[in-house]
Amino acid sequence: MRPLDPVTSKQRVAYGLAFFVVFVALWSWATFGGYVSKTFLANPLTMVQEGYDLLAKQGFIYDIGMTIWRVVGGFALAAIIAVPLGVLMGAYKPVEAFLEPFVSFARYLPASAFIPLLILWAGIGELQKLLVIFIGSVFQVILMIAVTVGATRRDLVEAAYTLGAKDRGIIRRVLLPSSAPEIAEILRLVLGWAWTYVIVAELIGSSSGIGHMITDSQALLNTGQIIFGIIVIGLIGLLSDFMFKAFNAWLFPWRLA
Amino acid sequence: MTILKVEQVSRTFPARHGNAPTKALEPTDLVIGNNDFVTILGPSGCGKSTLLRIVAGLDRPTSGRVTLDGREVTGPGADRGMVFQSYTLFPWLTVRENIAFGLRERGVSEAERNKIADAFIRQVGLSGFENHWPKQLSGGMQQRTAIARALANDPKILLLDEPFGALDNQTRALMQEMLLGIWERDQKTVLFVTHDIEEAIFLGSRVIVMSARPGRIKAEITVDLPHPRSYKIKTTPEFVQLKERLVEEIRTEALKVTEHA
Repeated sequence: MRPLDPVTSKQRVAYGLAFFVVFVALWSWATFGGYVSKTFLANPLTMVQEGYDLLAKQGFIYDIGMTIWRVVGGFALAAIIAVPLGVLMGAYKPVEAFLEPFVSFARYLPASAFIPLLILWAGIGELQKLLVIFIGSVFQVILMIAVTVGATRRDLVEAAYTLGAKDRGIIRRVLLPSSAPEIAEILRLVLGWAWTYVIVAELIGSSSGIGHMITDSQALLNTGQIIFGIIVIGLIGLLSDFMFKAFNAWLFPWRLA
Repeated sequence: MTILKVEQVSRTFPARHGNAPTKALEPTDLVIGNNDFVTILGPSGCGKSTLLRIVAGLDRPTSGRVTLDGREVTGPGADRGMVFQSYTLFPWLTVRENIAFGLRERGVSEAERNKIADAFIRQVGLSGFENHWPKQLSGGMQQRTAIARALANDPKILLLDEPFGALDNQTRALMQEMLLGIWERDQKTVLFVTHDIEEAIFLGSRVIVMSARPGRIKAEITVDLPHPRSYKIKTTPEFVQLKERLVEEIRTEALKVTEHA
């Protein structure tokens, strides 16, 4: 091993998998070896059994579907509002001066603290879940996109002006395409956070979803189910991240060239 | 025939952090005729880039005015093509799309755009690279694309701000010949800023020498070397003589800058 020496893609996969092997080995050692009580931590085999039970007999697929729909719905709602606003803020300094203080303030408001209020306003239906994710994501996305668009290379903007571009052209043909990969990265990042918000939203006042299953399992002290639920969330996150990355690479071939 | 007129143009950058305001450019006059190739030569910090940016409309003069074909310059526009020292190709566009950027902005149809772009791609010797991304090109190729991009707009005047400054010597010499070839063929009006004495003489029909701090025009030298010029001209006695004279002019200015720094 030497600093910054690259690894081959085969090695990369092998090392990545090795971690999971070590992790499961340690977990097995702690649980099968009797070092940790069953009440606190289920062993891997129990976890797999409970997971199979959840999927085959308790309709857990439906819960997973509900959670994914909430994340995607709330996140899409946030993106539809945040992307245009962020671009406007980045492009026009007066808009930025007008909105930036409020957005900076609002982004520190914890989404989970809104849950009681949102239940009051929107009930315990789907709208409330979507709003938790929306509040948790929208301000972050606005601010990060505004910074990205505002940091567009000035010389590219100047070059476009000398080529006859007007303000509309500058936004559509310089600011947007030059920020697009960063915007996609921001969305990928915030989608990860949205997963945290959805579980929190489902822990309180919910009758479906992965978070709801986890609360139910807690009441029954079924740690195997809880761990299975958490692992499912991790896997879905990994999968969506992978898809997002592949989509971005396909969308912005000029970055990889 | 006069095309570009710079009248009493000056630029002072406002005071900052308690420092005195910086006088980048003293009131300057400059007249450029149709099909002229004028080079502006000066040490760094002499305001030559500031002058060019004012002509491009990217910077506003503190006093005075610039007119192009009798119309005052108030902002950047397609009638003044610009090539920058930094690589300013749009990374998300291919070579062809970069060159067609200005045409597309004017609403030229795609077929027509591609026809014009491809003609310029051939002219700057980039055939076969039409669909490459800027990232895949060398510095010299990127600047050739940038020149083609500015020319594709058919500007009244081409402004170049040390376009070859970041290139190695061999590439730079080739680029100079290419640019001069285009000018000799198409008779464009060109204003070219550089700190390289040889480059200023080799390319220019007139060399404007600028002095440093505050920037102003110090001398103007007509270059009577015949066209078409090849690289061999750089070793002729006439060329060497001009070079010696300009070396003296620039040296005193460069010394002034070092002493002030």
